[in-house]
Formats: sequence, structure tokens, C-alpha cells
Amino acid sequence: MNPLIAPALPFDMKPRAREAVRDLKLQQFVGNATHLKDTQRGGIFDRDFGAEYDALRTVARDTKQYALDHLDELLERFIANAEKSGATVHAATTGREACDIALSIARAHQAHGRAQSCVKSKSMVTEEIGLLPAFEAAGIKTLETDLGEFILQIDGDAPSHIVTPMIHKDRVATAKSFVRELGARYTEDPTELTMIARAHMRGLYRAADIGVSGANFLLADEGSAVICTNEGNFDLSVGGPPVHIVFVGIEKLIRGARDLAPFLKLLARSGTAQPLTIYTSFVCGPRRAGEHGGPKELHFVLVDAGRVGVLASEKRDLLRCIRCGACLNACPVYRKVGGHSYGSMYAGPIGAVLTPELERAQGGANASQSGAGLANYPDLPRASSLCGACYEACPVKIDIPKFLLHDRTRLRERGLSPKSEGATLALWRWLAERPTLFRMAIGAVRLHARMLGQKDSRDERAWLTRVPGPGAGWTQSRDLGVATGESFREWFSKRGSR
Amino acid sequence: MRVALFTTCLAEALAPRALKATVLVLEHCGVTVELPTAQTCCGQPMLSNGLPGDAALLARRMTEVFAPYDAVVTPSGSCCSVVREKYAGLFADGSRDRAAVDALAAKTFELIEFLETKLGIDPATLRAKSSPRASTAPLTCHDACHLRGIHRHGCTEPFLRSACGGDVRELPDMTQCCGFGGMFSTQFPEVSTALGEEKLAHVASTGATTLVASDTGCAAHLAGLAHRKGVALRVISPAEALAESLGLMEVQESGAPNGGKHGAPNGEKHGAPNGGKA
Repeated sequence: MNPLIAPALPFDMKPRAREAVRDLKLQQFVGNATHLKDTQRGGIFDRDFGAEYDALRTVARDTKQYALDHLDELLERFIANAEKSGATVHAATTGREACDIALSIARAHQAHGRAQSCVKSKSMVTEEIGLLPAFEAAGIKTLETDLGEFILQIDGDAPSHIVTPMIHKDRVATAKSFVRELGARYTEDPTELTMIARAHMRGLYRAADIGVSGANFLLADEGSAVICTNEGNFDLSVGGPPVHIVFVGIEKLIRGARDLAPFLKLLARSGTAQPLTIYTSFVCGPRRAGEHGGPKELHFVLVDAGRVGVLASEKRDLLRCIRCGACLNACPVYRKVGGHSYGSMYAGPIGAVLTPELERAQGGANASQSGAGLANYPDLPRASSLCGACYEACPVKIDIPKFLLHDRTRLRERGLSPKSEGATLALWRWLAERPTLFRMAIGAVRLHARMLGQKDSRDERAWLTRVPGPGAGWTQSRDLGVATGESFREWFSKRGSR
Repeated sequence: MRVALFTTCLAEALAPRALKATVLVLEHCGVTVELPTAQTCCGQPMLSNGLPGDAALLARRMTEVFAPYDAVVTPSGSCCSVVREKYAGLFADGSRDRAAVDALAAKTFELIEFLETKLGIDPATLRAKSSPRASTAPLTCHDACHLRGIHRHGCTEPFLRSACGGDVRELPDMTQCCGFGGMFSTQFPEVSTALGEEKLAHVASTGATTLVASDTGCAAHLAGLAHRKGVALRVISPAEALAESLGLMEVQESGAPNGGKHGAPNGEKHGAPNGGKA
């Protein structure tokens, strides 16, 4: 798997974050795109729902939570209904198992001289389980058909955003890649670039033996999947090849079409500020007698890969996530560090809380993982200013800051947080229980600044340019202004009560 | 109504002028302000950094310190949000501590919120009833992100616009965090600084020479960054902006900063004394 999203563990975020902050192109591309999408998201919800937006989010939150609370029942119903429609349903406990299921489906066709090639539409769960490397290793040539994912594939790059995977690149880079990899003539025109990709892909769709996709929602009542795309690539991948495999995390289940409306209203608006994605496709069963399109075989691979463990944990709310990417667009830190700094296919605020939890819950089921969870990603919970923009943007009301704090507590309990910082905080708390000493400590800070600080010509402040201990990170780029004149309490007691 | 001032430890150390301004503004609005001297820290640093047990000890102290009062007012949006939003999670449902923190949460307010929602003060009327300064330097306003949690994010600027009557300019991209984030600022200094620089660039684009930041931490971060870079920018609290424009406090001279990190120390101070009419 690509080390950008599946790095060696334990993962050190800081070098990547530092590099990203200095990367002017990344700052420009990611900064502009996220600001734009975040602003447009606010605009379309205001326009379409106004004050009712919050009520809509509450409905979505409760609907998804209901589904998670009744997951066993919904799974049974989904399986029964999907099988009734002629689909085959597989259950995979681990990512490895999910890949093996797909490989055995492919092998069954290889016996008939097929399954040499695959067309794949965008899916986060296939990134998670490493399907593409597994297929490539088995000699099954796989084409990413989402335009962004396709460009990343030919560049050997990795997605850095849940919804807009190549947010860190621009069309100049794309133009160069198309010249290099496809022998196309150089153009920066988006329409021409799209037509080049389209011409390249169309023939491959027709020749492919297997189509692969993810799903946005699984409908238990109908035994079907709902897939939302903007490029129609899913419809082509399910329409041509004789076999189609839908990989889907079990948390995507909802009761059925009766519960779908709030999610369709929220998903595209939250992600890309569209009322709906261009295509909202329903997949139910394989091609029936008399039908001219669709796969002859339809498989659903229901992926656990840690989700059951998350469901049983204090972080079960995270499974409500519908992968809209709104929290990434709203996050000031994501805007600065980009997706690859998170060392996961799930970047940004949701990734920071979900990645360690999924890794822990899988208990090292994947070769590249150890199941140590937070110990493998000690920086992720700290890489947040706790500004709350993610929670405000989340269409299913996942309180991400709460889970970041939860993880910071677990880090501290396990001795995975910086010791000097812990000692400072313990001392601070000890002093804070002793008001006289606490006031003396504040006085000492003010005295320190008066003795050593640079006096300000404008007011009674002194500026410290170097602070020891955990504060050193502060004065790396900032001075610390400390008021050195009369203290507030002196002033207050001097003037007496009035 | 007995009103206590919740000073916050950060403001006592770094920004006493914001506290003086808070008292002056409240008194101007007819409120007698009391100062419970036993108050220390609300526990936010512990709560935000994985030490909820330590935070709970301080939360309990807070309930005791402020028990005798009917309302608790603070100029810090962030510390206010901790009391209002976070304390409840530290104690079990139905416990005595939980009832105590819930009671404290119900009577704790950020200053502007207190004026607007508790006292029902209309900012324009407030100005009309004062002897306001004729003009103030152009200012712009950045709200602390934690005001989101108490549904007050974006409320400071409109209030100041009517109350100050002067040149209050809209800050582009106000909703983006300034990058302070407590210990985040020292754990990820590059990211924190990059966000701070972006905020300063937006401030510069407004042409305002005074930035009102509704939390001591954000103010210290942005002022410290501006000082290091040699950018001439006054960073004050909403309380100071109000006190100055309503004529309750002298405006500090807004000269050029003295050269940032490598500037020569300047022992002579010629700014107006702190404290206004006191």
C-alpha cells in the first residue's frame, strides 16, 4: 500500500505537517479549495433549509444512530433481501479476508479465461483494505475510473481528501501526467483533460472482466446499495463487466429507502455544495432475464475491518460518518497540513479520531498494523486547536472535539504524552488549589517578564523572546507579551468598592 | 443580583487591562462587581490535555468559589465555554458535583453575552447613554472559536459596531481559527504560526490598526506573532474596545512596535496609564 496513506507505524505526523506548511502549492490548492467548499456548503444549507438545517441534522444523526444500534438485525434483513434479489453476500472480518473474497471471485472467472482486468469506481473502504495492491499482485489490471483517483493512480500518488482525492494537485500537474503516461498532447483545459481521460477509459470499461465499487448506503429493506457519484463512472463500471463487486463497510446500513431522504439531502450539500450528486445509483441484484445491461453476477462484500470493535467502544458515534468530507473542508489544521500529514486514507478531523480507533479495533489483523491504536498515532489527537468547526460542519453531529479530548486522556493514561508537559500541568493544578501560591506564581511570571523582557514603548507590557520548557514552542515564532504594571487585583482593591 | 468577576488566570497574568475594562463596563451598566479572591484556574489546560481528573478538582473549586453569586461574568469566551460546555462531562449524572457544575454553568456568561442577553442592553442605547469618544482608530474583530460552543460565535462584532459607533471593519474569513489552540500552539508551532499569519494577513487587509480578540489566549498568540514580525497592531479585548469607545478608559497610544525580537529594549514608557478613571 502507498506509504502516504499506510505509513510505517508508529506514525510521526510532525515532519509531514512541517513540510506541508512550507509547501506553497499545497497551501494554495488545499487552502483555496477547502475555503471555497466550506463557504458554499454554508450557503446552500442557508438557502435550502435555513433555520431547519439543524433539525435535518438531528434527524440524520438519530436515523444513523438507530441503524447502528440495530446493526445485527439490519444486517440479517439486508442479507436476506439481497440474496432474494439474486446477489451473493459475503462477510469479511478483516481487510485481508475482503481482498481474498474478491480474489476468489476473480479466480473463478480466471478458470474461464477471464478476470484479467478490473474497472473500479471510487471507494474509501477499498483504500482501507488495500484492494488495488492485492489485485495488482494477483495480475488483475485495475483502473481507477474516478478522474481524481485515476490521476493519482498514474502518478503513484495517494488520495488526500475523502471526497476530492486530488485536492493537493492542480490541472498543470494533471496535464504533465497525461503527456507522460498517456502520450496525450499538453493541455491545461479541464474539458480537454477530461476528454483525454474519457477516451482512455472507455475501451477499458468495455474490456473489463470485473467492476468494483463502494457504496454510500446499504438499504436493509430493499437489499440494495446506493452509490453517489458525479462522473457516472460507477454506472459504467456496473453496466459493462459481467461481474460486479460492491465493497462496503457494515456501518453504511440504514433501514431502507424510507430513511434515505435526509442523507441524500445532506451528503452532497455537505461535501460539494450540490443539491444532489449528479448520479444517485441504486444497485439491486444482478441482471434479470430480459434486461440488457448490468452484471451477470453481483457480489456484496460486507467489511468489518474493525467496525464491530468501534461499535463496542466509547467511540461508536464515529460510525455515523457518511464520508462527506465537510469536516476536512472546515478544519483550519487540515487546510494547513493537507491530507497526507494524517498518514491515513481518512484525513482531517474525522480521520484523526477514526484512524487510531479502526487500527486498534482490528487488533493487528493486517500485516502492516499492530493493533496498538493510539500508540501508533500519538500525534493525531493533538493535531487540533479544538476550534469546533468540524462539529459545526458535521451533518450527522459527530462531536469530534469530544473524541479528540477522549483520545488525549487515553494518551496521557498510557504515558504517550510528553512528560514535561504533564509535569507542568500537574504543578499548575497543584498551585491552582492554593490561591495564595497561585497568585505568587502569576506574580513571578510578571516579575520574570519585568526583569528579562523587552519593554514596550506603548504600554506596561514586557515581551519575552525566549521561554523555557514546554513554552519553547511558543517563542520559536512568537514573543510573549506580559503585563508588568499594576496587577488587576491591586487596582481593584485600591479603588475600593463603589 | 450579586455579580462576580471570573478573571481567568491567563488574563490576570497577561491582560489585566482587559479585566479592568470589564469592571468599568459592567459598572457603567449599573452592575456592582465583586471579586472572589480565592479563584484561580478553571482547569481548561488540564481538561484539554488529557487530565480530566485534575480538571474536575478545579471545577469543584470553581463551584465553591462562585457559590454565593447570582451571576459569574468573564471576558474570556474560552474559559466561559469550559464552564458551560465541558464541566458537566467531568461528573456522573445525578451526582452532587454534577448538580453544582450545572448550577455554575447556568449563571456563567461571557461579558458581551451577559450585557446582551442577561442585562438586555441594546448596544446603540448604551452608546447614547454614555459620553463616548468622538472617534476611535479603525478596528476589526476576531471571535474566539470556543464561543461556538455557547452559540456566541460572530456576536461580538455586531455588538461592538453599534456600541462603539466608530469604524468597525469586517474581518475576512473570521470563522477560521487563529491557530492558538492552547498547548496546540507549542506542540504544532509551525501549523499554529501559519494560521496566525493568515489571520494577521486578513487583519492587515481590512486596514484596521486595532484587533479585538475575544479571548486572552488568541490575543496573546496574535499579538506575540505581530510583535515578533514587527507588525504595528494593537490587540485588545472586547471589554477594552467598549471601555475605550464609551469614554471609560484612556486609549493607549498606538505607536509603532519597537522592532520585534532584535529591537533595543526601550525602558521609557509614554503610553497613557492603565486604569482609566480609577
